[in-house]
Amino acid sequence: MNEVFSQLFLGFQVALTPINIMWTTLGGVLGTIIGMLPGLGPATGVAVLLPLTFKMGPVGAMITMAGVYYGAMFGGSRASILLNTPGDGAAIATCFDGYPMTQKGRAEAALAMSAVASFIGGMIANVAMVFVAVPVAKFSLKFGPAEYTLLMLFALAATAAMSKEKILQGFIGMVFGLMISTIGLDGLTGVNRFTFNILELMGGIDFLIIIIGIYALGEVFKSFKSVHDPSYKMQTKFGKITFTKEDWKRSWPAILRSTPLGFFIGALPGAGGTMAALMAYNNEKNLSKHPEEFGKGAIEGLAAPEAANNASSVGALIPMMTLGIPGSGTTAVMLGALLMLGLQPGPLLFTKQPEVAWGMIASMFIGNFILLIVNMPMASILVRVLSVPAKVLYPLILGLAFIGTYAITNSVVDFFILIAFGLIGIFLDKAKIPTAPLILGGIVGSTMETSFRQALMLSDGSPKIFYGSTVTIVLIGLTIFSIAWPFVAGAIKSAKRARKA
Amino acid sequence: MKRITRILTAAALVAAVATPAFAQAKGYPSRTVECYAPGGAGGGWDLTIRTVSKTLTDTGLVKVAMPVENKSGGGGAVFLTALQSMKKKDNVLTVYSPPLLFININGTTPFSYKNTTPLARLITDFGAFVVRKDSKYTSISQVIEDLRKNPTSVKFGGNSAAGSMDHIQFLVVAKAAGLTGLKNIQFISFQDNAGAAQLLGGHIDMLSTGLGDVRGLVESGDLRVLASTAPVRPSFGVGKDVPTVREQGIPVDFLNWRGIFGPPEMPDYAVKFWRDAFAKMVKTPEWQKSCETNGWVQNYADQPEFLSFLETQNKLAREILSELGMAK
Repeated sequence: MNEVFSQLFLGFQVALTPINIMWTTLGGVLGTIIGMLPGLGPATGVAVLLPLTFKMGPVGAMITMAGVYYGAMFGGSRASILLNTPGDGAAIATCFDGYPMTQKGRAEAALAMSAVASFIGGMIANVAMVFVAVPVAKFSLKFGPAEYTLLMLFALAATAAMSKEKILQGFIGMVFGLMISTIGLDGLTGVNRFTFNILELMGGIDFLIIIIGIYALGEVFKSFKSVHDPSYKMQTKFGKITFTKEDWKRSWPAILRSTPLGFFIGALPGAGGTMAALMAYNNEKNLSKHPEEFGKGAIEGLAAPEAANNASSVGALIPMMTLGIPGSGTTAVMLGALLMLGLQPGPLLFTKQPEVAWGMIASMFIGNFILLIVNMPMASILVRVLSVPAKVLYPLILGLAFIGTYAITNSVVDFFILIAFGLIGIFLDKAKIPTAPLILGGIVGSTMETSFRQALMLSDGSPKIFYGSTVTIVLIGLTIFSIAWPFVAGAIKSAKRARKA
Repeated sequence: MKRITRILTAAALVAAVATPAFAQAKGYPSRTVECYAPGGAGGGWDLTIRTVSKTLTDTGLVKVAMPVENKSGGGGAVFLTALQSMKKKDNVLTVYSPPLLFININGTTPFSYKNTTPLARLITDFGAFVVRKDSKYTSISQVIEDLRKNPTSVKFGGNSAAGSMDHIQFLVVAKAAGLTGLKNIQFISFQDNAGAAQLLGGHIDMLSTGLGDVRGLVESGDLRVLASTAPVRPSFGVGKDVPTVREQGIPVDFLNWRGIFGPPEMPDYAVKFWRDAFAKMVKTPEWQKSCETNGWVQNYADQPEFLSFLETQNKLAREILSELGMAK
């Protein structure tokens, strides 16, 4: 234990030099801005930095890149709350209650809570990173194809249950999402599916494009009719960026529950922030005493995913730092940068280059403070976007959506996919099909399918692999619980009501 | 008036014809050279072309800027298509490796290495067959023997799709060891480079990957390399302690080469310039140092040698993919 503290002390010595404080601030602020723009997520932000890392040196490069990563988690929620347009995938769940809060005139509270929840989530995850990185990494190795299959199934079941008021529409959305995820090259057989000889489709449709299409473009298309509506009212008076005691009372348990969940999901290679945020949201809704408020501006529904996605960005660094394996698109780029700088990521990184590993971890503590301080005044400026007339704002969103899409793969074909999903967005709105199951289906579908087939290849076709380990049994239990719970809770409630009457 | 027009036209014609000729004679390259990585940031292609661009500009061998852009998709096929529209350009460079051959043979793209201008082969990484430290296998021959008895007895995986790098490099070895029925050997493809984690977690028995990709875990002792596909042991890095497939009695090797390519019909003066530049670059200490830190083995081949190398490699890849029923 003493060893950890002395190493961490070394890390702070590195991170607290003026130049490294500057890199931390620069990375964090850049990340926040990149995170706010739809489509430009942490992966793009880190890739943009790549050519500069040669000049920064290993410590500066890692500190800045990590800053971009968690900074983007802070920034991603801004546009979700104010415009119903998630800045990146991990910020979708923030739309569900963040935007309704804005519509009720509580944008200031939503922005303040999202910054504070992000901060707490990030800080707790940093502490966890210091003390339990190695055991968490070891535990994450227990996740083989069978465990992944069940984890994805659990995530899907929770989402389907989330839309229990309109369960049919929820399932339609989910199945549509799963169908989209089958597009592209199937790695196990090397066969192209539904690509129609369009090479750009071989890699599948990037779910970020689906998100930008449905949310950003969909939002613009939907408001075509109301742009000239004189009754359209803009917010002109703005309060302080703060939340009430009542808000805090409702949110802190959600933050504390969502942080470990986000951290662990982040540490699993290939799961990621979007899944962490959505699962945290579902979890809170299931546990809430008043689930009917979710989706209508419940502040804990905003706090949970915000804490979870920040924690997941810290967790995602674990496989990279301890094993030298990228856990997400962003860490893959960071890993490449490390290699280019002549460092070998892997189990020996902590002993061979402690100043890089520990310097980066220490910088994340400092960075979270800096971002909290930066974000509050920034939010009071950003909130004024609500006073921008629709006919100015929407063309801007449209432009940003296209720039963001191009930044993902530098491909023009994606523009057509973007427009198609914008139109699909209108249709979904008219048919009252919820978007969350669709997007989650799109994200987990291909991993779930491939993992399922990989598991059967490993077991020579025996289904026993799906209930052969402790982890699989726990996951099966959780899946059944998440489907059954809303019904059980409903039954208990009506029983209570019956007794009262 | 008519005469003036005619003179002007003639002058314009002369200028139009002479300008490129003049440019090549003096001071080529005079404008920015666009470098493309056909894959994502942080990947092998990206790493190679960024290192090349940095070394060439740092050493002053090239005096213009060489920014790198990522054009990923289709396992490199998306950029190969884009490259066709850059025909005859003198300021475009890209990097490819064995998948350039696979994507043509398996029908992903109608274009092949023949629709590029190969300039030089620079480096190679080698395939490595890796197991956990506590695995029962100590040599690649044991794995082959088990597969001979029962083709599904060894669970082996990799990070590429079926029919690409990690799959093929093992089958090349298996074929050379006299194994038949290559189609029955199951290959489990993992996405997002999850293969090493799956091996560490005990979900698969053996991972087929690049020697450089698992360096960290091999140095720490968590993973053990059964064999590399190098023709001889390299003199540095993890490779020097790893037995080759040849040492274990299987007469074959597999090179994960990386080379630099220009667009189709690249002008002669540009080809000449780049062949010359790469020949000089590989001798610089800067390049040698980069190779060492990245664990690459220098394997420079000038254009003529590179071309005949590509031809033999292409034939070999076609044989294997045909046997798998994956060749189009």
